[in-house]
Amino acid sequence: MSIATELAPAPGRRVGLMQRVVNHRADYLYVLPALAVMMIVIAYPVYYTLELSLFKTPANLQMKDKVYVGLDNYVTILTSQSFRDVTVNTLIWTISSTLISFLLGLCAALALHREFAGRGVLRAVLLVPYVVSAVAASYVWKWLYHSDFGVIGALSVQFGFTDRPINFLDNLYTVLPSLIVVNIWREFSFAMIMLMAGLQTVPDQLLRAAQVDGANTWQRFWHVTFPHLKGVSMVTLLLLMVANFNSFIIPWVMTGGGPAGASDIWITQIYQLAFGRQRWGLASAYAVILFVVLMTLGYFYVKALTRGDEARA
Amino acid sequence: MAQVVLREVVKTYGNLYAVNHVSLTVEDGEFVALVGPSGCGKTTTLNLVAGLMPISGGDIYIGDTLVNDLDPKDRDIAMVFQNYALYPNKTVFQNLAFPLKMRKLAKPDIERKVMEAAKVLDIVHLLKRLPRELSGGQQQRVALGRALVRDPKVFLMDEPLSNLDAKLRVQMRSELKRFQRDLSATVIYVTHDQLEAVTMADKMAVMSGGVLQQYDSPAQVFDNPVNTFVASFVGSPAMSLVPLTAVTRGTDMSLQSPEGWNLSLSPANARKALSASSDKIVLGARHSTVRLHKQASPGAVPGKVYTVEPTGDITFVQVYLGAAVVVVSLEPSVAISPDEPVWIEFDQNKMHLFDGETTMALKAA
Amino acid sequence: MTSTLADTSRSAARKPIDWWRWSGRVFLLFLLIFTVLPMAWMVLTSLKSQFAAMQYPPQWWPAEPTLENYRKLLDPSNSVGHEFLQYFWNSLYVSVATTILGVVVAVPAAYAFSRFRFPGRTFLFFAVLVRNMFPAVVFLMPLFLLMRRLGLVGTHTSLILTYLTFGLPLSIWLLKGFYDNIPIQLEQAARIDGATRFQAFYMIVLPLSSPGIIATSIFSFIGAWNEYVYAVTFLNNKDKLTLPVGIQRYFTEFATDWPGLMAATFLMSVPVVVLFLVLQKYFVRALTEGAVKS
Repeated sequence: MSIATELAPAPGRRVGLMQRVVNHRADYLYVLPALAVMMIVIAYPVYYTLELSLFKTPANLQMKDKVYVGLDNYVTILTSQSFRDVTVNTLIWTISSTLISFLLGLCAALALHREFAGRGVLRAVLLVPYVVSAVAASYVWKWLYHSDFGVIGALSVQFGFTDRPINFLDNLYTVLPSLIVVNIWREFSFAMIMLMAGLQTVPDQLLRAAQVDGANTWQRFWHVTFPHLKGVSMVTLLLLMVANFNSFIIPWVMTGGGPAGASDIWITQIYQLAFGRQRWGLASAYAVILFVVLMTLGYFYVKALTRGDEARA
Repeated sequence: MAQVVLREVVKTYGNLYAVNHVSLTVEDGEFVALVGPSGCGKTTTLNLVAGLMPISGGDIYIGDTLVNDLDPKDRDIAMVFQNYALYPNKTVFQNLAFPLKMRKLAKPDIERKVMEAAKVLDIVHLLKRLPRELSGGQQQRVALGRALVRDPKVFLMDEPLSNLDAKLRVQMRSELKRFQRDLSATVIYVTHDQLEAVTMADKMAVMSGGVLQQYDSPAQVFDNPVNTFVASFVGSPAMSLVPLTAVTRGTDMSLQSPEGWNLSLSPANARKALSASSDKIVLGARHSTVRLHKQASPGAVPGKVYTVEPTGDITFVQVYLGAAVVVVSLEPSVAISPDEPVWIEFDQNKMHLFDGETTMALKAA
Repeated sequence: MTSTLADTSRSAARKPIDWWRWSGRVFLLFLLIFTVLPMAWMVLTSLKSQFAAMQYPPQWWPAEPTLENYRKLLDPSNSVGHEFLQYFWNSLYVSVATTILGVVVAVPAAYAFSRFRFPGRTFLFFAVLVRNMFPAVVFLMPLFLLMRRLGLVGTHTSLILTYLTFGLPLSIWLLKGFYDNIPIQLEQAARIDGATRFQAFYMIVLPLSSPGIIATSIFSFIGAWNEYVYAVTFLNNKDKLTLPVGIQRYFTEFATDWPGLMAATFLMSVPVVVLFLVLQKYFVRALTEGAVKS
């Protein structure tokens, strides 16, 4: 036998779960208020949405008159042409907003990473659109896109791109890209700020080592900086993606999903179904579908976050 | 000041023993060091005394009070932390005053006591500063001051010097010892540095794997380690340990190495070796009890120099005896170089013998 | 400090032109124009009369700048101003209440998540986080029905309650990060110095976490101030509307008054932008905390 430098196992003292809960009962007091609020405002709605999605609901919102229809609502949605159109719009909206915002943010973060006079001011200015309400942004851009007096249309005529002002928001082909521009305007600086913080974690010594080893600027970025940004990039992309799936205000305030549904995305569609056409059962089923997609993204979000946690521990 | 008694103290994490039935008594006014490698349970033991974590079994007495279920604030203790744990948003004065304020002393009393402690520690000029404006040594003094302003029953110190640089550490070591002597304070001092323990403590408790290995005066622990762990942990450089096999020829007993050399044992040592549970014996020797010969010599065994480390007044030489390393100290004037063949002679009166199976020190039967 | 893509100037000092650096600057200039132009046009328009705004080609610079639009909005004696100020006050009330309640609820929860190891802690924490993922609209219908049942539709309470849960997960997550960075020895020291567990929290930890509390407060405030979906759904009474919704009413009734709308938009943005600029450091820290590990 040698002297134990490892801890010896203690005999038969496995503490049961109930006992541990009881032992820690005081700790729960701290989280109780938060839990209570969240239970009311989260758990109940989730349950209720799931339940409603299985019913046909009367337009008068007398929920006791609802009729059980099983999965009919889901079938109706998934087999409809409009669902396919709206899904295409949703994907275009989400993916292009996310990717372009991320790329702009990445380039901005890299360009802003080195010290120069006015850097702090510039960063603050670029962040303002992210802070301002989306409603304000929507009105401002709606005015910029105005079919007769919009400054963008006037400028494009001025510079000779077009003969006459374009009606950006009333055209099936320009409406979605126009809205995406507004969305990017609002959120690219979020990606920028996240990646700037990420850049600060890139070890200076590694970059110098790479420089001594003869790597050029691009190689240093690709082999040293970029791998260090992977974690932050994952989290940023996921957060952007979730935000874009959920973004309601810009399309709703600027076009209401029009013209002819050309800028309709899932979320505006759900709102329209519920509060416009009072088809709550159908809207709930729609919401559940969105919910499943977001939960999948949420799973990766938590995974990306906890991977960082383990690295830190 | 008061006595502290630990009786069969146990702390379990899940189903592991972090502290495994530790019993020891710290006498009133005694300075006791808890030493051991990291993860040995020494800090956990201290936290149990402080009441910062619940005890799983056994009893802890401070003075005559059983404190098992008392809150830290009711145990009448003071503690100095490794990272000093100074309240960053309070000035030095406020830091020192905090324990007194919590005990609802009157304002003039607080001021008087803080000034007293500040004078003793020579930090009066720092009273208005914030902790972040102090050097490491100054922060250390303030942390000490916060413990000194009260007259607690016992001082608990968790590696209080390990964040200081080497020179300051030596200086604070003697100051700390002086304070303890002057106040005849009861101190429980946790450290991973055996040198700190040996130089400061009246008694040291060597821990490993949650188990108390030996609890005795530093001199006793140094001269009579109870097992190979204590032998190799206390002392710098560590005691050399050579695993060997006992061989009996007639009345003579000797230790044989795998390489084939033999070391005859004196009658006293032979009696010790006989009490071993098997023929496996570990020979232990401190560097100062080993002689090095450049030629073969009776009673000396052959080896080969590995490294030579001059430290100024002493040169340490590591010698390979087969697979085991033996450290020898030499006068700096002796010329010796790596790979030289040498002969090693152990002092029969000062060598240690350990049971190769149980690792315990062997005593004459 | 650190050197990356854009930072090659010193090593490349002898080269005539540093292309990376210059393309970085050009890119930043482009971004700045992209960011600022819409805001600038908003301000310019708000300084025009209705007639001056409705021209083609537009007046690039207001020929006769006027503060009339602002005067109208801020004058309580006229009906437009009266309404606008009412909306402004409503927004302020809802946002401040949300912020304060949010801190009161989030602080103990974050502290518990940071310090205690109670069963279900991990699960609870991820439940909190996952809330970030849920779209407002998913909760809109059931919450609307819930508020109807509770008789809260049309009240500010319904909004405060809802915004509270919006902000909570993020607030808890942010504050937990702050508490994780406060050494536990500080509390232990306080408890040995004679404080109860609660006193140690209240007297030592809470003051140290004030930057975190400020950061989360800004977040809750801005979130509540800008929120639209619930406000538009829950509020039916004209007197109760918050700014994002009120402004919409204003827009549809005075559909052609673009300069007035731009002035209202500007005024509505002032509080959040000022708050952001003053407390930028906290805002940025809050935004990136948790996602970036060093």
